[in-house]
Amino acid sequence: MSLTMLTAYDERPEGAGDAVYRAGGTDLQERLRTTGATPHVLDLTGVPGFAALERTDTGTILGAGVTVATVARELADAYPALALTAAGLATPQVRATATVGGNLLQRTRCWYFRHPHTSCLKSGGDSCPARDGRHLYGVAFDTAPCVHPHPSSLAMALLTYAATLDTTRSGGLAVGDVLGDGSDPSRDHLLADDEVLTRITLPPPVAGERAAYFRAISRFEAEWPLVEAVVRVVRDEAGTVTSCGLAIGGVAPVPLRLRAVEALITGSTLDDDTVSAAAAAATDGADPLPETGYKVALVEATVREVLERVRS
Amino acid sequence: MELTTTVNDETRVVEVEGTESAVDVVRDGLGLTGTKLVCGSGVCGACTMLVDGEPVLGCLTPATRLRDADVTTVEGVADGDDLHPVQRALAHHDGLQCGYCTPGFVVGAAAFHDRWRAEHGAAEPDRRTIAEALAGHLCRCGSYEGIYRAVAAACRGEHDAGEGTVERVEAPAKVTGAAVYTTDVVLPGMLHAVIRRSDLAAGFAGPVTFPDGVLGIDVLGEDRHVRWAGQPIAVVAAESLAAARRAAAGLAVPFTPQPFVTDPAEAVRPGAPLVYATRAERKEAPTSSEGGAMPAPWKGNSHGPSRAPYLGTVAKRRIGSARTEGRRGLVDLEFHTAAQLHTAFEPHACVADWSDPQYLRVWLSTQGVGAMRLEIADHFDLDPTHVEVVAEHVGGGFGAKLSLTTEAVAAIELSRLSRRPVRLVLDRHEELTGTGNRPGSRSRVSLLVDEETQAVRALTVDTDSHAGVAVGNSVAALAMLVYDRTPRLARDVDVVTNAPPGAPFRGPGGPTIAWALEQTVDEAAHRFGRDPIDLRAQWDGNPKRQALYRWASALPTWQGRPATGSQTGRFRRGVGVAAANWMYFVDPDCEVVVRVESGRLVVSTAVQDMGTGSRTVLARAVAGVFGIDPTTVDVHLGRAHSGATHGPASGGSRTTVSLWSTAVEAATSLRARIGTDLAGAPDGTSATAKRGGDRGLRAVPVTMGGIQVGRGFSAAVHVSEVEVDTRTGRTRVLRVHGGIAVGRIHAPVLARSQCEGSVIQGVGLALYENQVLDPHTGLTLTANLEDYRIPQLGDTPEIDIHFHEEGWDRVPGGGVGLGEVATISPAASVGNAIFNATGWRPLTLPVRPDRLLSGLSRRRVELTR
Repeated sequence: MSLTMLTAYDERPEGAGDAVYRAGGTDLQERLRTTGATPHVLDLTGVPGFAALERTDTGTILGAGVTVATVARELADAYPALALTAAGLATPQVRATATVGGNLLQRTRCWYFRHPHTSCLKSGGDSCPARDGRHLYGVAFDTAPCVHPHPSSLAMALLTYAATLDTTRSGGLAVGDVLGDGSDPSRDHLLADDEVLTRITLPPPVAGERAAYFRAISRFEAEWPLVEAVVRVVRDEAGTVTSCGLAIGGVAPVPLRLRAVEALITGSTLDDDTVSAAAAAATDGADPLPETGYKVALVEATVREVLERVRS
Repeated sequence: MELTTTVNDETRVVEVEGTESAVDVVRDGLGLTGTKLVCGSGVCGACTMLVDGEPVLGCLTPATRLRDADVTTVEGVADGDDLHPVQRALAHHDGLQCGYCTPGFVVGAAAFHDRWRAEHGAAEPDRRTIAEALAGHLCRCGSYEGIYRAVAAACRGEHDAGEGTVERVEAPAKVTGAAVYTTDVVLPGMLHAVIRRSDLAAGFAGPVTFPDGVLGIDVLGEDRHVRWAGQPIAVVAAESLAAARRAAAGLAVPFTPQPFVTDPAEAVRPGAPLVYATRAERKEAPTSSEGGAMPAPWKGNSHGPSRAPYLGTVAKRRIGSARTEGRRGLVDLEFHTAAQLHTAFEPHACVADWSDPQYLRVWLSTQGVGAMRLEIADHFDLDPTHVEVVAEHVGGGFGAKLSLTTEAVAAIELSRLSRRPVRLVLDRHEELTGTGNRPGSRSRVSLLVDEETQAVRALTVDTDSHAGVAVGNSVAALAMLVYDRTPRLARDVDVVTNAPPGAPFRGPGGPTIAWALEQTVDEAAHRFGRDPIDLRAQWDGNPKRQALYRWASALPTWQGRPATGSQTGRFRRGVGVAAANWMYFVDPDCEVVVRVESGRLVVSTAVQDMGTGSRTVLARAVAGVFGIDPTTVDVHLGRAHSGATHGPASGGSRTTVSLWSTAVEAATSLRARIGTDLAGAPDGTSATAKRGGDRGLRAVPVTMGGIQVGRGFSAAVHVSEVEVDTRTGRTRVLRVHGGIAVGRIHAPVLARSQCEGSVIQGVGLALYENQVLDPHTGLTLTANLEDYRIPQLGDTPEIDIHFHEEGWDRVPGGGVGLGEVATISPAASVGNAIFNATGWRPLTLPVRPDRLLSGLSRRRVELTR
């Protein structure tokens, strides 16, 4: 086991064949402890600009190493949907250490994947043990071979902003370009082994934007979402929604931006009928597993919750 | 690489790999063992430390983050001897029990306090603010009420100077990180041991061959039969933990898999794989109860029933004809509970030192240092005078650390072979897989009441317990001890499967039967429009519970209870009640010594303190006799050796009732000899007392395993108020009143803490906790604290504990144990409160959002029919 503290993204030391990148470490360190794996670790935290946050006329640029806590604190006014989502995930200590880039690229939280003595599609196996095993926290939109939802809450929020991502190989990628659609079940993202996510670019803030985030969980907080949703809207003086972004997480191989639901909301005054119709429409295409039928009801409940919150 | 860091104002240089986590550097590299490693996955916060003033998780933070940083661990929170206000507040308000999570809470809460005070002066933060700030911290003992009180008081500025009174005598050691647990013991030349476990749920393992240079032992036993996934097969020791892990993983273990069954419903079907195929094998089945299994017949994977009848045939006949006739007075319900994992924060851990062939010293995280010393001597065929067992502090047990298990046997044997100290500490995954659980169950309760008077006519309870490979569960039988002496019949069956074995868990069988019986009683009250407390009072002859019923009836929470199912909004509040009953146990062989040393009193016995208060009870008992401050009494416990007297195990609610009167008697006899002038008393003067039984008052005339069953029952009643969010399926417990009738309370602050913790563990059982196994392999999927969900600070209801202190005057000291009776009714009261709120009765534990949503939607369908 060895470590290189990188000073540039494209640095690739000799013998770093099985290397893994590390930012905050909140995902990687747990997996190293549990599996006893000893890969070469390439630590990104010393790369210039990794944790920089830059506001420009054309948008806001987040270094991939900006912490989740920084997003929650610094972007609360300009990008409330993203900031509320950041503030609602994990715990204060994790938010203080975990990075935006790490949140996007973390591995799945499936209890089979995290178990030291099982194998699954994401850990080199040839089948998904959760599919005909236990999948209470699995997907409700069964569209891919792996049945655990993607864990990134920030990816969900970034979808509503149509943020773009830069890597060491490509620029201007959409969130979906990086996360894929789950059809390759061995991966949680599509970056190459030696490719690094460097920056996230948000479009310029929109005046008057309001947002709401909600995560359905069983306890008070600090729990992975059963279902989560985030919405951002801009309304005119009459209260009519002029633009809307809405996405859900915890239910599909990747977070889902619900454009059809956005279309229902845009142009409405967020009256009760629209809220009900939008909440119901959010479940279109749901295809739950034997143990995840409840998530369909929770998708409707969670979307209703964020819409009621955002209009109040 | 070399890493320079400033820890607690001291510059340290340490060699690191760089890939390890900060907690590894702090504990292993720098020897600062106050910081604890519990979950290893960033969930529990026990390893929290400040890095450049910011609380971070030691287990997830890369060691390199410490480079050139200013690090504060729990040892550095105080300014020399001057404790931080949060440390003083936690000690004063007893925001801790076993103390294993406390270092993390101290660091996290101190950071919150300092920030809060800087911004808000001495304003008090509300509970929500505190819960959000400390959301990354968990406490399994359930000391959250004390933590709330402490953090709020510290923020109000009440602990800026001066200690305030501190009842828990070891609290200062626990809030400063000075308390030493088994996991903290480091001996020169120590080897590290790791268990190789089975990944498969059933089969035969061939002989394990250890490669040259690998020190290992086989622990499977002669029949070579593996019966559950996670069962230990072999143990190896090496110079480092990493090397031991590699060696264990690399062992060649020939294995012939066999068919297995993990689902109890499948286990009783014809043709199911047999967990125990022969009479000889069945004899070896482990028991999950404290008393051992009663003889009962086997049929396939069913062991039982063991029957507890009183006019049982009459009961069966009455229930049978009521069922045929469709009588309204018959309440017939079936309940299911999930296995609950003990989740002690200090894992099972042992450091064995047999480097001196003449003397074996064993540090062991155990609930019974005395009992373990004798068991170890017996197991290794040693004279007990050559064995010492040490557990200065124990980071929780809850029943799972009462027997001699692999970590101890293997560490001792490997130390014998190597003549070096050997350390074996389970990781969280092992702890949550194989160290025991409160077994799941299926119970059918049939209660027949008179339709006019609601007098009980008959009661039958049939329980299948699902303790994996273990037998000996007694659940239904406990239902026979509470209500009217009418015809009744209890039948207990163990359904064995290839799942990890159950173990005793606070009040074994108690919360399980209460979940079923107390909801059945509630249903009867509802059906006949009776007040559930009045109906219990009509049936229940126990005078202590009668007093608690009067107290509960008068509570504003109870009086403001809505009509069941009357609410229609999204959030629905409801109030529920449940009652509890428990046996009274005492250890008559308990012996306590009080002596004078340099003008101070020293009290000692071979008992241990896992946060349940043995130290404090002994100090207060002795101090009371001499009229001095308990903190000036030195308590020597946690060491069982030839010079120590017998002390009780911490289990079976027997500890305090065995210690208190014995310590009082020894102190009284010492005072009779030396008076109260301690300074003038000759050094070494001592007096000893032995507890003895309660003469003429025993229920059973024998003592078994350090337990004598005394006469009479302790009692409890819990009233809970919940709020159900019918949109998201989440239930919050808002308020719990706990009435506890155990007679005189000897350490009121600690007793309250333990009863509050019982409520919180009950909330976990009711709403969150659920062992999940993979059906295809039998592996435990909930083997981490992310997926095994225990209550957090924010899930804590407001808790009000009421002690009814009368009724135990005939027992020396006037009071009995409370550790178990306090745990039995909370979950059932939450179940009844959910019914009151929604009109839907939750029959299956835990009441997760998915179950609640599905239950409510079924009820909507029924109502619209």
